[in-house]
Amino acid sequence: MTDEASTAAGLAERRGEETKVYQPAEDSGLLADAAAEFARGRTLEVGTGSGWVAEQVAPEVPEIVAADVNPHACQQARERGIEAVRTNLMDAFAEGSFETVLFNPPYLPTDPENEWDDWMEQALSGGESGRELIEPFLDDLGRVLAPGGQALLLVSSLAGFEEVEELARDAGFVPEEVRQESYPFETLSILRLTRFTLCGKPSSGKID
Amino acid sequence: MKESLMEIVCCPMDKHDLELDAAERDDGEIITGTLTCTDCGESYPIEDGIPNLLPPDMRDEA
Repeated sequence: MTDEASTAAGLAERRGEETKVYQPAEDSGLLADAAAEFARGRTLEVGTGSGWVAEQVAPEVPEIVAADVNPHACQQARERGIEAVRTNLMDAFAEGSFETVLFNPPYLPTDPENEWDDWMEQALSGGESGRELIEPFLDDLGRVLAPGGQALLLVSSLAGFEEVEELARDAGFVPEEVRQESYPFETLSILRLTRFTLCGKPSSGKID
Repeated sequence: MKESLMEIVCCPMDKHDLELDAAERDDGEIITGTLTCTDCGESYPIEDGIPNLLPPDMRDEA
């Protein structure tokens, strides 16, 4: 893999994206496919982008809400008939609100000196590690999930699959890989995250 | 936004409940209005049916 291929700029160029909103791609399709099997109850899609995944999942669940920090993304999701909320990750959602949370995070590792600071960059870049949005997402996930709730998280090999699994465990979740597809530049997986429990109570995720 | 969304949204800064003031409704949805935090008093706009629940310092970039 070349350096160029590993940057957000490289991928955006290959995908021919010059718009302000990330449009559905292979990763979106994989997340929608897993969600069709696992999503249940009131469902949130974090970082919905075009709203395409939320639209695919809507018929499968009683209620779906889409969130994005990008106002253009919120508009596109609403045009698809999806309830949209402009917020950073899950900041504006109350405790225990969702049975399912879906997230296809910006994950491309990006050199800070090469960031180009527009909406598409925000939609693609996961910072230097590729995990800059995944960490705060996992930190706040337990708060917005209802008891017995789950998340479906898209993970790319570019962001480090084992590192993301470890972060999920540290946040008190059990990661289970429910989808995997390989592409020339990356392998995409869907991790299903459920809360780690001992004796029926959420634990810190480790057995002492 | 539908009024039922009020059950699951909160102030992004302190997580307290929000109070809805709807200025324009259409077909059961709130098109414009404001959401005000019942604790800190910060208010958030609803425009084109979309609540903008970014903290004030992040709100204006577009």
